[in-house]
Amino acid sequence: MLLNRKQSGKRWHLRPDGAPKVTGQLQYLTDMTLPDMIHGRVLRSEYPYARILSIDTSEAEALEGVYAVLTSKDVPGLNRFGIATPDQPVFCEDIVRYVGDAIVAVAADSPERAALALDAIRVEYEEFTPLNSTDAALAPGAPELHEHGPGNVLHRTEIKRGDAEQAFATCDHIVTETYYTPRQMHAYMETEGGLFVPDEEGRLNVFAATQHGYKDRMQLARIIGCPEEDIRVVSSPIGGSFGGKDELNVQPYGALLALRCGRPVKMHNSRKESVRAGLKRHPMKIEMQTGMSREGIIQAHRVRITADTGAYATLGAPVLNFCTEHCLGPYAIPNVDVEGVSVYTNNGLSGEFRGFGGNQAIFAMEGQMDRLAAIMNMDPWEFRRRNMREKNDPGPLNQRILVTDGLSQVWEALDRSELWQKHQSSPADPTLPPWIKRGVGAAIAMHGAGLGYGIPDPAGGRLSLNNEGKIEVAFSYEEFGQGLVATLEIMLCDLFQCSTSDLSIIIGDTDRVPHSGSSTASRSTTMAWMALQRLQIPFRSRVLDVASEMSGVPADELVTGPGGIWRKGQLPAETSEVETDVQGTGKSEKEVTLALEGVKQTSAIGNESDQTAESYLGLSQHLVKESVSSGFVVSYAELATQGEADEWIFDTKFDYPTTPDNVVGGHYLYTYAAVAAEVEVNTLTGETKLLDTRHVVAAGPVINPMGYIGQIEGGSVMALGFTLTEDAVMQDSRYVTTNLDTYMIPTIQDIHTNLEVEAIEDLPEGDAFGPRGIGEIGSVALAPAITAAIHQATGVWVNRLPVPREQLVRPLNVPLQEGVSPS
Amino acid sequence: MSKPLESHWTAVVNGEQKHLEIAQTTRLVDVLRTHLQLTGTKVSCEVGRCGACMVLMDGEPVNSCLIMAYQCEGSDIMTIEGLQGDEKGTLHPIQQAFVEEGGFQCGYCTPGMVISTKALLDAHPEPSQEQIETGLCGNLCRCTGYGGIIRAVRKAGERCATKETSAQETVS
Ligand code: FES
Ligand code: FES
Repeated sequence: MLLNRKQSGKRWHLRPDGAPKVTGQLQYLTDMTLPDMIHGRVLRSEYPYARILSIDTSEAEALEGVYAVLTSKDVPGLNRFGIATPDQPVFCEDIVRYVGDAIVAVAADSPERAALALDAIRVEYEEFTPLNSTDAALAPGAPELHEHGPGNVLHRTEIKRGDAEQAFATCDHIVTETYYTPRQMHAYMETEGGLFVPDEEGRLNVFAATQHGYKDRMQLARIIGCPEEDIRVVSSPIGGSFGGKDELNVQPYGALLALRCGRPVKMHNSRKESVRAGLKRHPMKIEMQTGMSREGIIQAHRVRITADTGAYATLGAPVLNFCTEHCLGPYAIPNVDVEGVSVYTNNGLSGEFRGFGGNQAIFAMEGQMDRLAAIMNMDPWEFRRRNMREKNDPGPLNQRILVTDGLSQVWEALDRSELWQKHQSSPADPTLPPWIKRGVGAAIAMHGAGLGYGIPDPAGGRLSLNNEGKIEVAFSYEEFGQGLVATLEIMLCDLFQCSTSDLSIIIGDTDRVPHSGSSTASRSTTMAWMALQRLQIPFRSRVLDVASEMSGVPADELVTGPGGIWRKGQLPAETSEVETDVQGTGKSEKEVTLALEGVKQTSAIGNESDQTAESYLGLSQHLVKESVSSGFVVSYAELATQGEADEWIFDTKFDYPTTPDNVVGGHYLYTYAAVAAEVEVNTLTGETKLLDTRHVVAAGPVINPMGYIGQIEGGSVMALGFTLTEDAVMQDSRYVTTNLDTYMIPTIQDIHTNLEVEAIEDLPEGDAFGPRGIGEIGSVALAPAITAAIHQATGVWVNRLPVPREQLVRPLNVPLQEGVSPS
Repeated sequence: MSKPLESHWTAVVNGEQKHLEIAQTTRLVDVLRTHLQLTGTKVSCEVGRCGACMVLMDGEPVNSCLIMAYQCEGSDIMTIEGLQGDEKGTLHPIQQAFVEEGGFQCGYCTPGMVISTKALLDAHPEPSQEQIETGLCGNLCRCTGYGGIIRAVRKAGERCATKETSAQETVS
């Protein structure tokens, strides 16, 4: 189904956080203030690689208005953090390994004074030559950045099957190419920050963005050396993350400063500091050699991946695992020899980023497919089909995966598309000057969801009827913009036929939600759906049983509905759908007007989450219950007065589905995507413009069409940046592109305004996992589609991203038409 | 430490006369976010590139991270908090269109986008694609890919246009 507003009809659901966001009334965590708060700042390393000889903070401490100056000596617990491998120092003790390394933190009564205090700190260093590339870090005799060596290798991966060596010897054609991908920046619009508030009971309240509040709480407790229960982490709403805020960033400093000073501390990174200290996408070098038979069937595939993981581990190892798994693409290849290595350098910090290593792998593998098809003189799409895995084949790591038709469905849908058909006979446009070239390319991908085999990936959730008579769900997921709360609303309304005003949705607060895993790896939608499937049964039966006791109507004649329990067959016509429709048709002025009244400025911290919740829930819906018709039996509020409160609470815990086979990192659920792209290349300037794209995505039922389109469009434009303009350039391990004026993310002028999204909603019959997440799939396959299109347009095989414009410039050989002057 | 030079600053912000004692070198974005607690205006790049801090100064869109207090002394400033529908507490048609078309995700760029859209539609009530692109190219959004934003701007344009025509009809 082509996904757009019209097609979505009644399912076009307005986001409950819409009014507060468009009016500017929503308080992000970095907008929060308290009257007696002070301001925290961090002193970061002057050098990418050096030994600290001495730190003199006395002058800073003596400054008026400075409340605290902290170094490594002031960390009561573990002076390290990191989701997977805690190897990043909160404060460096001796060695600094990148320009974002923290040495001292200060708190002062104004941001200006905090800056003065930083200036007053004297650090003496012994400077070393930075390991500014993976080659330098792997060179024999290179200094070891971490003690746990050997060498500067963080992690190695390997997939070996068959005998690649021998198979290459019998291949008729072999394509050898090395691909390079950039250090992409997340560039979330809200930089890191928040408010850290110690309260009278001795607890620390952390209001700072993360993708996993419980993981932050665990790490902060370890740093502070206190029980986890002494910390509350409130972590939504978030002004964008894309993986970039999953690791701790300002939290250790804010927390330690607040505890030391006994007062609220505000932190908010400037963009420059955010660039300097924050995560980036792993730059990778991927060498590939792929051999095929005379008939064009791939026989052998050799891959060597080198990832620049930067100064600390963060999720470098899992990212490399993911890349390794995905560099075979969705193809059946008998002889495989893949090795990956993730290398410590002094180049910033690489970590988690939307696509998680898949983007790099898919760019390389699909590049190989196009080059092989060209040798065969074969249609590249047909070439892919011949080599595609069969439905029942094992996954890339030879592991069992869930059988679906997704791959062949996206292949076929794209094959049929008008855009891809242009590839066959790209009509020359006579109105274009001869130096403007057009081409069409396509790529296909299978992308794993969830963290993969062997990595703890807990899920769960809570469903309850709260004492206000609201159906309440609580998850430890975060809203960083993806539209999770809207999706949950839709799921719950579908499930209980209730209205949105019957709902209370709680996320992003460790005091109020159960531990149900993180919002990462395209997993939240699937996890929430699976949790609700489990929880609805006990919840519904209790609700109906009690309603039956109260009314005398047999439980099997009752159903849940808007406002409460109804007699079966007497629900007000299509309640929840009608309501959504009202909001979606533009007749919604009144609805949104009402919604706005629910928005309140948050001023008092203690009520922050309540008010945030209040602004989330029930904002977009105001079903006025007319005089209760005869079918109405009992309201949720009345039900909630029956029995003990905890009898109305239902919890579930389970794990994200993984393959039964023992392959670390191997996925079980995959989503599939095919992308076609049409480009226009100006061979005088080397500029590439993306004109048209089509994304076909097979990820199961579309729960939230607005959110789905938004995620694919957003992912696609992010991938456009990855392909054409984005690179956090480093020179001698220092960032050259330090802000958004030199680091170029796409603007509204750079995008492909023709972007069609086609959703394939089929799932195998009786599928137990429901809708799959689509947070990443829109961003993984556009790059190779664009470079294939560039090849069709210009004949140039691009192997490096962002596409080097100089490779596409052909100033001397443009044959000018008569009467056309090169302007 | 010597005290920074303080001085009197006045301007009309969202229709209200404001008087503050602040250093004249304070950036407008800090006047708004810190001194007036109008945190709807966001701060992101601080170099005039992203548009998160966009406000209207005497009707013109400006990056409030680049304007100093002394430069807007006595001006008429409108922030996102000052934008609303005809009736108090209702959404302006632009805001309404952003909600309906999914013109935001995380929402952090949204106040700036809405303000730039306001300036755009004030200048070009029925903007062409090119005018939309020129009008909004100073506002970065990392979440939406701009698709929803473009649809919202078009819809807001239509709405504002119809409203204007009907207003004219009522007048005539
Ligand atoms: S913060 Fe002013 S333009 Fe970015
Ligand atoms: S909605 Fe997040 S930056 Fe635009």
